[in-house]
Amino acid sequence: MYTPLRIDPTKALGDIATFQRKLAAGMGHLRGMREPEYANTPRELVYSEDKLKVWHFTGHGKTTAKTPLLIVYALVNTVWMTDLQADRSMVRNLLEQGEDVYLIDWGYPDGADRWLTLDDYINGYLDRCVDAVRQRHDLDAINLLGICQGGAFSLCYTALHPDKVKNLITMVTPVDFHTPDNMLSHWCRSMDVDLFVDTMGNIPAGLMNYVYLTLKPVRLNQQKYIGMVDILDNPTELENFLRMERWIFDSPDQAGEAFRQFIKDFYQGNKLVKGTLEIGGKPVDLGMVTQPVLNIFAEQDHLVPPDASRALGKHVGTTDYTQLAFKGGHIGIYVSGRAQREVPPAIHQWLSARN
Amino acid sequence: MHEDAPMADPANDFIRDYQTLAQQSWDAWTRQLQQQQPQPTVNPFFTPLPAPASGNDTLERTLAGLKGYFDWMQGAAASGAAAQPVDWRQQLQQLFGGAGQPFAQAFGGIDSAGAEGFSRQWQSWLQAAQHSGFGDLPGAQGPIPAFGLNREQQMQQQAMSAAVLASLQASARYQALIQRASQQGMQRLQDKLAEHAEPGRQIDSLKALYDLWVDSAEEAYAEVAMSDEFREAYGEMVNTQMRVRQMQQQQTEQMCQQLGVPTRTEVSSLGERLQALRREFRASQTPASADHADEITALRRELAALKRQVADRAGAAPVAKKATPARPSTSAVKKSISKAPAKAARTAAASKAKPDAASKSRISSRKRK
Repeated sequence: MYTPLRIDPTKALGDIATFQRKLAAGMGHLRGMREPEYANTPRELVYSEDKLKVWHFTGHGKTTAKTPLLIVYALVNTVWMTDLQADRSMVRNLLEQGEDVYLIDWGYPDGADRWLTLDDYINGYLDRCVDAVRQRHDLDAINLLGICQGGAFSLCYTALHPDKVKNLITMVTPVDFHTPDNMLSHWCRSMDVDLFVDTMGNIPAGLMNYVYLTLKPVRLNQQKYIGMVDILDNPTELENFLRMERWIFDSPDQAGEAFRQFIKDFYQGNKLVKGTLEIGGKPVDLGMVTQPVLNIFAEQDHLVPPDASRALGKHVGTTDYTQLAFKGGHIGIYVSGRAQREVPPAIHQWLSARN
Repeated sequence: MHEDAPMADPANDFIRDYQTLAQQSWDAWTRQLQQQQPQPTVNPFFTPLPAPASGNDTLERTLAGLKGYFDWMQGAAASGAAAQPVDWRQQLQQLFGGAGQPFAQAFGGIDSAGAEGFSRQWQSWLQAAQHSGFGDLPGAQGPIPAFGLNREQQMQQQAMSAAVLASLQASARYQALIQRASQQGMQRLQDKLAEHAEPGRQIDSLKALYDLWVDSAEEAYAEVAMSDEFREAYGEMVNTQMRVRQMQQQQTEQMCQQLGVPTRTEVSSLGERLQALRREFRASQTPASADHADEITALRRELAALKRQVADRAGAAPVAKKATPARPSTSAVKKSISKAPAKAARTAAASKAKPDAASKSRISSRKRK
C-alpha cells in the first residue's frame, strides 16, 4: 500500500529556506523600485472629448494597410493592456505588421459622467471617434477592433452604423451572456441592478476588481502572490509582474447608467442574441452586421467563456465569418508570447485579404 | 555523546531559529509595504467609513496569504509531514483542516470581507445614530408603532434595523456556502491525492501539495458558485447591503438638508439634467442627412430580416416538420471553410505553426452565398 505523499524532509526544509530567503531578498529588490511603465508606443492625440481621447500610434515601420484600424476597448480596466510593455504589445505588433492603429482611451469617469448611457457611449462617443478617424483618412468606412465589452459595443455600433465599418474584429467578446459556464452572468442574475446603481451611483473600480478576484479566489488572492515570491530575485520578471498588477488594479469606475443598462440588457436580459436590444431607442439587429467578421476568443477565458463568444457566428448577418480560437486566457491573448506570435499576424493577414 | 543527553534535533532547532527570522522578516515586509502604500481600505460593497486601525486591508490580506502559506510549510515540516505517514488522510486533515488552518484566509478573505465591512458599517452607523440623538434602535426585535414629533425618525430607525438584520442574515447564508465550498475542496483534495498513490505519481513537495489543494479548492468553489442556491444568496447579500446603504444615505441627506449642505441627490439631479441638455444640444446640431441615414439603416434592417425569412423558408422546405435555424448549419459552415477569403490568412498562419500543432490557435471560417 503506497501513500500519495512522498515528501523528502530535507527537500521540504530546503523549500522553506528558499522561500524565506527569496522573500527576505525581495524586500531589497522592491525598495526603491519605480512604478513600472507601460510600453508607451509613440502616439499622437487626434481627438478628445470630455475624458475620452483617441490616440493614433506612430510606429517606426511603414504603414501598408489602406484602411485604419480603430481599437475599441472595454470600459472596465484601462486600454493599456493593448500596449503593456515593449515585447508584449499588441499595438506595436500590429504596427509592425503594417496596420494603421488608432485607440480609444475612455478615461476615468467621475460624478459628472454618472448619467452617461450606452447610447451616449455607442451612438455618441464611439460614433464621433469613428467619424474623426474617417475624416482624417477621407474614408467612408474604417476597420473596428472591439475588445471584450468594447467588442459588444463594436457589434452594436456596426449594426447601427453599418456604412461606417468596413471590417469588424471582435476579441474575447461576450455575445451570448447566458452560457452555462458564465460565472459573472450567473451571479448578477439575482441582483437588483436598479437598487445597486441608484445606491452606488458610479460603480467603484475597487468593487469591480473585488468581484473579478472572487471568480478564482484562492488562485488570485494567494497562489498568485506565492508565485511572485519565486520571481522576487529576478528584477525583470518582478517588474513585469508589478506592471500587470498596476494594470489590473489601476482601473476606472463605471458610469452608473451605462453599467445599469449593460447589466440589465446584456448580462440579465441577454438581449443581444435575443434580438431585443435597443440602444438609444433603436433596435440592435446583429443580422445587420454584414461586414466581414473575425471573431477571436480565448479557450481558457474565465471572464468571457469561449461559448459566449462563439455564439456570434450564429447571429451575425455576414456571409464572411472567421473565428480564431486562441490557446490561452482572457489576458494571455494580449500579453503571452504565443499571443505576440499568433494574434497580430492573424489579424493583419485577415484584414489584408479584405482591404 | 553521553547516553542521557537529549538527542539534538537539528531540524527543529533550525525551524525555531527560522521562525524567529521569519517573524522579523514579515514584520519588516509589513512595515515596508505599508509605508509604500498608505491607501485606505477598499471594501467591496461599502465605501470606507472609519479608517481601520490596521491600515490597508488589501495589503494585509496579501501578506496574510503569503504568511499563511509559509506558516503552513513550516508547520508541515515540523510536524513530520514529510515522513512516511501511517494514515495520509488523517495527516491531510491535520495539514489543511481545523479552525487554525493557515488557508482559512484564502477563502476567509471572501466570506468575511462583506461581513467585516458590514459590521464596521453597522458599528459606525450605530454610533452616529446615538450621537445624533436618534437614541437606541427601536424595532430591532420587530416593528413597534411610532408616534409623536420624531415619528418619522423612529420609523426610519426601525426600517434600518430590519434592513441591517436582513443583511446580516444574507451574509451568514453566503458565508455558509463559502464554508461548504471549503469543505468540499478538502474532499476533492483527498480524491485527487488518491489518484497519486502509485509510485512515480506521488506528491514529493509541499509546493506540489499546496498547488493540488488550490486546484481542489477552486474546483469546489466553482461548483458551489455556479449553483442556483449561491446565485440567490449572492444576489440577496448584495441587495440587502444596498438597502442598508441607501437608508444610510437617506438619513445623511436629511441631516445635510437641515444644515444647508447640498446633498448627493441634488448634485446627481443636476448632473442628470445637464446630460439631458447635452444630448438635446447634440441632436439639434445633427445635420438632416443623419435622419436620412437612420431611415436607410431602418430599411436595411427590414431587408436583412426579409432575407433571413427567405433563407429560413428555403432551408425549411426539404424538412418541413423540422425547425430550421436562421443561419446555415454547422456542417454547412464546415463545408464552406475552404471557400472563405480568409484562406490566405489561415494558410499563412499555419505555415508559421510551431512543431506543437496541438497547442496552436485554431482558425475556422465560413462563407455563405
